[in-house]
Amino acid sequence: MKNFISMTLNGRQRDDAVPGNMLLVDFLRETVGMTGTKIGCDGGECGCCTVLIAGKPRHACLTLAASCDGTDIETIESLETGGRLSAIQRGFHEKLGAQCGFCTPGMVMAAEGLLRENANPSEDEIRQGMAANICRCTGYVKIIESVQAAAEEIASKESAA
Amino acid sequence: MNETTPIDPEKIEPVKSIGVPMPLVDGPEKVSGKANYTADFLEHGALVGRILRSPVAHAEILSIDTSAAETLPGVEAVATGADFVGQFGVLPIARTEWPIARDRVRYRGEPIAAVAAIDVETAQKALDLIEFEYVELPAYFTAEDAIAEGVTPLHEKRPNNVERHVDYDLGEVDKGFEEAELVCEGTYDCAEVCQVQTEPHAAMAAYDGERDRLTVHASTQVPYYVHLMLEQTLGMPKSRIRVIKPHIGGGFGSRTECLHVELIASALARKCNGTVRIILSREETFVTHRGRPEQNTTLKMGMSKDGRITAVDTTTTQRGGAYAGYGTVTILYSGSMVFALYDIQNARYNGYRVLTNTPPCGAFRGHGTVNVRFAFESLMDEMATKLGLDPFEVRRKNLLKAPTFTANDLMVNSYGLPECLDIVEKASGWKDRKGKLAPFRGLGIACSHYVSGASKPVNWTGEPHATVNIKLDFDGSLTILTGAPEIGQGSSTILTQCVAEVLGLDVTRIRILTSDSLVTPKDNGAYSSRVTYMVGNAAIDAATNLKAILVEAAARKMDVQPEDVECLGEVYRAGSQDQGLTFEEVVVAALEGTGTITARGNFDTIPESWGGDKYRGAAIGGSMAFSYAAQVVEIEIDPDTADIRVEKVWVAHDCGKALNPLAVEGQIEGSVWMGMGQAMTEETRYHKGLGITGNMLDYRVPTIIESPPIETHIVESIDPHGPFGAKEAGEASLAGFLPALTNAIADALDIRVSELPITPDRLMEIMEEKKKAARKNADQKVSA
Amino acid sequence: MELMPDFVLHRPTSIEEAVKLRNETDGALYVAGGTDMIVNVRRGIEQPAALIDLSVVSELREIVEDDEGLHIGAGVTLETVSQDTRVLKHFTAVAEAAAAVAGPTHQAYGTVGGNLCLDTRCLFYNQSEWWRKSNDYCLKKNGTVCHVAPGGKHCFAAFSGDVAPAALVHNAEVDLVGPNGRRRVPLADIYHNDGMDHLAFEPGELLAVLHLPKSEASMPSAYEKARVRGSIDFPLAGAAVWVKQSGDKIEELRIALTAVNPYPHLIKGLEKFSGTELNDGALDEIAEMVQSQAKPMLTTTVKPWYRRRVIGAIARRLTKQLSNTT
Repeated sequence: MKNFISMTLNGRQRDDAVPGNMLLVDFLRETVGMTGTKIGCDGGECGCCTVLIAGKPRHACLTLAASCDGTDIETIESLETGGRLSAIQRGFHEKLGAQCGFCTPGMVMAAEGLLRENANPSEDEIRQGMAANICRCTGYVKIIESVQAAAEEIASKESAA
Repeated sequence: MNETTPIDPEKIEPVKSIGVPMPLVDGPEKVSGKANYTADFLEHGALVGRILRSPVAHAEILSIDTSAAETLPGVEAVATGADFVGQFGVLPIARTEWPIARDRVRYRGEPIAAVAAIDVETAQKALDLIEFEYVELPAYFTAEDAIAEGVTPLHEKRPNNVERHVDYDLGEVDKGFEEAELVCEGTYDCAEVCQVQTEPHAAMAAYDGERDRLTVHASTQVPYYVHLMLEQTLGMPKSRIRVIKPHIGGGFGSRTECLHVELIASALARKCNGTVRIILSREETFVTHRGRPEQNTTLKMGMSKDGRITAVDTTTTQRGGAYAGYGTVTILYSGSMVFALYDIQNARYNGYRVLTNTPPCGAFRGHGTVNVRFAFESLMDEMATKLGLDPFEVRRKNLLKAPTFTANDLMVNSYGLPECLDIVEKASGWKDRKGKLAPFRGLGIACSHYVSGASKPVNWTGEPHATVNIKLDFDGSLTILTGAPEIGQGSSTILTQCVAEVLGLDVTRIRILTSDSLVTPKDNGAYSSRVTYMVGNAAIDAATNLKAILVEAAARKMDVQPEDVECLGEVYRAGSQDQGLTFEEVVVAALEGTGTITARGNFDTIPESWGGDKYRGAAIGGSMAFSYAAQVVEIEIDPDTADIRVEKVWVAHDCGKALNPLAVEGQIEGSVWMGMGQAMTEETRYHKGLGITGNMLDYRVPTIIESPPIETHIVESIDPHGPFGAKEAGEASLAGFLPALTNAIADALDIRVSELPITPDRLMEIMEEKKKAARKNADQKVSA
Repeated sequence: MELMPDFVLHRPTSIEEAVKLRNETDGALYVAGGTDMIVNVRRGIEQPAALIDLSVVSELREIVEDDEGLHIGAGVTLETVSQDTRVLKHFTAVAEAAAAVAGPTHQAYGTVGGNLCLDTRCLFYNQSEWWRKSNDYCLKKNGTVCHVAPGGKHCFAAFSGDVAPAALVHNAEVDLVGPNGRRRVPLADIYHNDGMDHLAFEPGELLAVLHLPKSEASMPSAYEKARVRGSIDFPLAGAAVWVKQSGDKIEELRIALTAVNPYPHLIKGLEKFSGTELNDGALDEIAEMVQSQAKPMLTTTVKPWYRRRVIGAIARRLTKQLSNTT
C-alpha cells in the first residue's frame, strides 16, 4: 500500500506516492535522485544521512518517507545560493573540514541545524551539537575550526547588513 | 588580463603553489553534496546485486543449489564460484581467494552465491531460495589454536596454518644483551581493528554484450589491481575492461586490494548482460574487513646505563584471517620497521603470520608497523624509567645520523626526528611539568615512522613506478591525467600544486582527471603513502617536460634561444625589458604543427632504496624516504570509572617539505586521532568467528566529544629525492599515539598497560589488581 | 535500497485513533521517533505488518504543569525535555538523562515515550537477520538458546533507556491508554524482570503521559551513565539519585539503575539510611547495595564485572555530590 505525501523539499513543494516501508534516505536518493545525503551505517550510528526536518537534524535512514507528509525537509543540496557555497560549506571547504567528503553532507547539515539555534557556539557547544556525526578522516580538529569559521562569516555578514 | 591591457613586466611573477596552505581542489563538490561516490550513480535499469554469505566458519561445500533462485521472476542472474576462472589476491605469490567460495568456505560471511534482480526484495527472496549444503570442518579463531598440533589446514599449501614465518638475525644480538646494563622483556597485545572508512564498499558493473566490454565503478584505492583481478577471475582480456574510481569515502587500507564486491558485480553483469549495482551494508563492510590483525608481540631489549639500546629481539604473531591478502607483507613490515626508527645494530626477529577462520586482514594505515611500535616504545620507556633516565634523552641517545643505511639496509637520507623531539618536548612543557602533574594526570611520549611508498612494486612489470600525463589543448587549458586514486587524502590537490609550481601558474588554471582506465595512465594505487612521493615526482617530471616544450615554442616565436626564455607563469619573455608572450600566445605557438600536446612524466626508485638482501623479504620496508614523528599525550584518569580523558596531544611530524601545510596538518591530525581510536576504544570481536562488533555502535570509532585538541607541528627535513623535498605525511603519526598514551598512563598511575584497546573495564581491572597487590604487600609487611 | 519488511504505515492524529488502529490491525506496532524501532525493523528484529506512527498525535507532544507536578506527553522529544527549564530545575536527573541519550540528532526526534519503552538490548540480539540466523537465533527472538547464559531459560537482555531511572527516583507515574480506556500506574509497575518481555502492558496499550509529581527534595536529582564514548553509546550502566535531607541527615534516598538489569531497577532497602548521616561509611554501603542489586550479564562488549563496579561508583559519587550541595 502506498501513502500519498505532500512535502516541501529544499523549498519546493512536491507530491509523491511512496510505499509505507520506504526510508526517507532511499526516497531522497533513489526516487528523487538527490544523492548528496549519504548512507554510512546500518541505522543511526554515523550521521552521514543527516537532513533537517522542520529545521531540526534528523537521520534520513531512520525516518520513513511516508511519515514526512506535511513536513519541510532540507538536504545538503539546498544550501548553495546562486551557485555559491553557503558559509558553512565554505568553512568546511576552506578549513579542510572535509577530507574524503563522505560524512560531510551530514556534518554540514548538523552544523546548519546547530548554527540556526546558536549562532555563536563555544567550542564545547560545537562538540555537543555535532556529536551524532562520525568522521573518520579529520580527527574533528578541522571540523570544529570549519564551524567556527562559518559562524564568524555569518556574524560578519550580519553586522555588515 | 584582457587583450587591451599591456603586460606590466614588473608585476608578473610565477605563482607559488608549493608550501602554500590551500583547500582541496575537489572541495567544493564534496561540501555541496555534488561529489559522486560509487553508490551515487543511478543508472537507469540497473539491477540490485546481493550476496549470500556463509553462516559457518569452516566447511567443505557439498553443493550450492541455485535452481529455485534462478527461476524466480525478477531474477536476472545468479552467480557462484563456478562463474569464475581464477582466484584473486593482491600478491602474485598468494592468489588464494575465490570471488565466491568454491569447494570450501573459510570464514563466516564469505560469499557463497550472489544474485542480480530487479529489486532488493526479489534479490533477497532469491538468496533465501539457495540451498547450501556443507560439512563443517574444525575452525580456529585464534592464532594459537590455528597452529596447534594436528590442526586441519585452511589451505593445503600451508599445512601448519602459518602463512609466513619471517626471521632475521642482524649483528650480534646475544653479545648486545650481555653488554647491556639492563635487559627487559615484555609481551604486548593489540586487538584487531578495522578501518571503518565512512563509505561502505560498493561497485557498479555494466556489461556491453554487443561489444564484449565491461565498465566497472568501484570504491577502491587500487583501480589498477581491480583491473588485473577482473581479468584474472573473469578470464576477460584487460583491453575490454574499463575501471573507474569515482569519489571515494576514505580507505585507510581497507581497499588497497581488490575486494569481492567488484568481482561479483562484474560476474553478475556479464551473466545477465546488464548493469548491476552492489552496495554493501556496514555489517558486510566489516565482514569484508582487511583491517589490522590481532597481534601478540614479545619484545626483549637490552639497554646500556646511559640509554643506548644494545640489542632487540622481537617475536610476534599475527592472526591473519582466512586468506593471505597482504599478510606476508604485513609480517615483513613488522620486522623491517620495528627497530629501524633508531640506530640499532643488533636485532633479531621472528614473525608469524597465521591463517585463522576469521575475515581476512589487510593493510591498515601504518601497515605492519603500529603494533610492534607500541611494544617497542612501551618497553623503551619502561626501561628508561628503571634506569632513571628521561624518556626524551633515551630516544635522543639512539638516533640515526642521516644520510645512512639502517642495519637492515633501509636508505635514510633525511631524518627530522631530533627536531620533532625538541619541538614536542618544548611545546608540551615536558621539562617543567613531567612528574609534577596532579594525581591521575600523566604525560607520555613516543616516536614513530613510516615509508614514503614501497620501493619495489607488488607487480613487477618493468614499467616506471609512476606515470603522469598533462594534456594541453587549443583552449589553453591544462589537464593532469593520472591514475593516482584521490581517496580523500588530497592527492589530486598535491599533484595539481606540483604541476602549477613548475609552470608558475595558479592552481585554478589546472584541472585534474583521476583513475579512469579509459583515459588516465596506469597507476599502482593509493597505498603505503606512495602517491605524493612517487606520483608527485612524476607530475613534476611531466610539468618540466611540458615547460620545455612551451619554452621552446616561445623561443621560436620570439626568435631567441630557449635558454634565453624566462618563464613567469602567465608570461614568457626574453629578458626583463621584453614585453614577452602571454601563456595563451605560447600555447598557440606550441600547438603549431603538433596539435594537442600530451607531456609525460615518470618516476622510478633507485636501487639503493630497495632494502638490501640480508634476509628473505628484506625488500619490504625499502623506501625512497621515511617520515618521522614524535608526540606527547597528556591524560587525566577518572579514578571512579577508569575513564581516560585525553587532554591534549602535541605532535611533530617530519614530512620533508610540506607541499600543502593545510593538507599535511589534516593528515597528521587524522593519524593521531586514528591511533587514539585503536588505543582506547576500537576492536573487532568475534563470537565463534561471527563478528560481534559489525556495526558502528559496538565498534567504537571515537566521537567528537572525547577527541582531544591536537597541536600539530610540521618539521621539514627536505628529502633529496622527494618532490620539492617532500615525504610521507599521512601514516607515521598514527603509531606513536598508542605507546604515548600507555606511557602517560604509566606516568599517572605507575601502571604499565600492555593490552590495547585500554577500555575502562580493562584499565579498572589493572587498577584493582594493583590495589590488591599493594594491600597484600602491606599485609605481608605487617605480619612480618 | 534498504531491504525492509513489508508493512503499511498509519498516521493517526489522536490517541484514540492510534489505539484503535493498533488493536484492529494484526501485527501492528507503535513507532514514535523511530531511533530504535526503525533500526530493529531494518534488522528484521521487528517485522510488523503495520506501523502506527505517533508523530502527528498533537496531544502526545504537550507538557502541562499544574499543582500536582509536570505532565510530559510521551511524544515530547528528548531535546525538549533536556532543555525545559522546569525539568532542569525540579527534575534535573530527567533532563540530564534525556541529554545523555545517544547523540544530539537522536535527541532531536527521539521521544520520552520511546525511551521509556525501549526494547532491551543484547550483543546476540541487536544484530542483522543473517547474523542471528547464522548464530541459531536466541531465546529473545526465534531461538531456543541464550548465548549469554547457555542452558538458561531467562533472557538477560538489558534495559538501556536513560530516562526511566531518572523518572523512577522522582516517583513518576505514567498514563497507559488501551482499548479499555486510560489507566494511571506507577512507572515502576510497567516493567518486568524479563529481557524477552520487559513491558507489563495490556495488549495494545500506548504510553501517553509521564507524570512527574512535585519533588519534595530541596535539591534536584542527578543522572550519570558510564559509556565508552562521549556520545552515541547506549549506557553500559546508568544511575539516577534523589536525596531528601534535613540538616546533615538523610530523610529519604532513592537510587535507580539502568542497563544492568532487564528493567530499570529501583534500589531496594535504602530506607535504612533514613535519619542517618551521609558519611563515607554510608556512601560505601550505598555503593555496595547498588552493586549487589545490579545484575549485568555479558550483553555488551564491556565486561559485566566493570559495569557492576562502575554503577556502584557512579551512584556513590552522585549521592555525595547531591548531599554536598545542600
